[in-house]
Amino acid sequence: MITPRKRATSQWLFWITGACALMAVLMLAGILFSVAIRGLGTIDWAFLTEPMKRGGLEGGIVHHLGGTLILVTTALLIALPLAAGFGITQELYCRRESLKEAMGTAIYLLNGLPSILFGIVGYLVLVKWAGWGKSWLAGGIVLAVMMLPTITVAFVERLRQVPRAQIQAARGLGLSRSQLCWSILLPQASSGLITGSLLGVARAAGETAPILFTAAIFSGATWPDGLRESPVLSLPYHVFVLAQDALDPEAQDRLWGTAAVLLGLVMFLSALALPLRLRIRRHETS
Amino acid sequence: MIRTRPRLDLTRATAGTLALAVLAVLLGMGALFFWQSVPVWKSEGIGGFLTGKQWFYRHERYGLWTMLFGTGAVALIAMLVAVPLGLGAAIFTSEFLSPKTRLVVKALVELLAGVPSVVYGLLGVLLLRNWIYEGLDLRTGDTLLTGGILLGIMVLPTVMTLCDDALQAVPARFRRAARGLGLTRQETILHAVLPQARSAILASILLGFGRATGETIAVFLVIGRQDNRSPDFSALVSPGQTLTSKLGGSELNIAYGDSLHWGAMMGVASVLLLISILVTVGGRRLLRRP
Repeated sequence: MITPRKRATSQWLFWITGACALMAVLMLAGILFSVAIRGLGTIDWAFLTEPMKRGGLEGGIVHHLGGTLILVTTALLIALPLAAGFGITQELYCRRESLKEAMGTAIYLLNGLPSILFGIVGYLVLVKWAGWGKSWLAGGIVLAVMMLPTITVAFVERLRQVPRAQIQAARGLGLSRSQLCWSILLPQASSGLITGSLLGVARAAGETAPILFTAAIFSGATWPDGLRESPVLSLPYHVFVLAQDALDPEAQDRLWGTAAVLLGLVMFLSALALPLRLRIRRHETS
Repeated sequence: MIRTRPRLDLTRATAGTLALAVLAVLLGMGALFFWQSVPVWKSEGIGGFLTGKQWFYRHERYGLWTMLFGTGAVALIAMLVAVPLGLGAAIFTSEFLSPKTRLVVKALVELLAGVPSVVYGLLGVLLLRNWIYEGLDLRTGDTLLTGGILLGIMVLPTVMTLCDDALQAVPARFRRAARGLGLTRQETILHAVLPQARSAILASILLGFGRATGETIAVFLVIGRQDNRSPDFSALVSPGQTLTSKLGGSELNIAYGDSLHWGAMMGVASVLLLISILVTVGGRRLLRRP
């Protein structure tokens, strides 16, 4: 029986953890809010469609927005087939449990690596050894490797939810493994690829460290024309550079504006992925 | 016509090749860092490089100790911020909220986990740095403490959502059994749910720690990036250097071409790689444990 005393003492965990949750939510909401109130005032059509002038003091961010889109699109185009191939190999063709396990671990390892390490490998191999210099493609490749685990994990998660019975039925009808792949697994698990892509792109769009040495410069680039020595401007790098000498109040408005655009872009992409993710979760729990 | 050889399975070949390419990238990265860092291991010795307190590249002295200290200190401070708040908040969302409300809160938190690190860096530069500078009356706001607190806020959503998953993974029968024995809700959480979720919670904390050690941009902006601070208590409120802020700096460009200096930078990268591998493998081990 719960005595009154016991009831009273059993309240503290509720209040303490509730306070923790409230503090966490307020802190995080505060972050969004403080970027929004400082940045939203700057954003208008001209800001989004004009090129930068006077090192970020005037003009807009059209090339930064474009550069970031070029980088993440390139990365997605490279990462998507790799992730699909990896997932299909792991779940369909790999018959030894230990090898499957090892492939899973490899993806987790890749996911856990600090993004600066990808940037340095890209710098050494693509920028220096291949002689590309800073290039949008080098940045795209580096970001592709970085978003790969995100896409793969979402895809494999979805592959594992394809009903056993359907696969057995397909096998019973005499479908080969490759037919199974194209007519059952890929159509059924494509939502995993989409969710993973959205999350991967959202993550890659905001990353600075991988493109620091491989693709981004602060000013002087417009649209890339070619492969070698064709760097791009990008949103996160712009914020990164301006943040290092953010004392000029004239630059601050545009700095916050750029940060707000970046944050909005990333939040939008993650929000798109949210319903799909929650649907996967519900599927798991039911 | 009788086909004697099995037909080449194009799908299998393509998928297999792509999978191999991914594995090759991972292994290649590791091999590249260690191979490129050979000169510094030869010149300083493994122990000498790891425990050397001086880094003067003009005098060819390369020691990691102050950066290891910086990374460790920053990550520990971050955990001091993120773990109590994150675990507390996760207990609340997982155990006290209705499933629907929990999902809404969780969705918001996961959204926030995606805020780019450069945005945190910007807030650190323009807000947190000044608060630390004025609040603690220091000579500068660029300190290890600033970096640690900023990182703590940054990994908070990750720690929170992973801890929430860990608690949700505890089967309902444990809760029912404990409640059936007459335990209050709080006692159920403290004595039945938390012990069951212990290793998964530890794994979440470890993964948060891993993210904190590997984060570059936000730390880079507020840490001060000063080499050769002697690792003591006062260093926490002084400018310092971490493994990642070293790698993110322009010294990388200077180092390229000088095999020893480049080797030293790659040594920093190798150590960072090793730490993150250990953390990831450790986290997975913990998660696997029943």
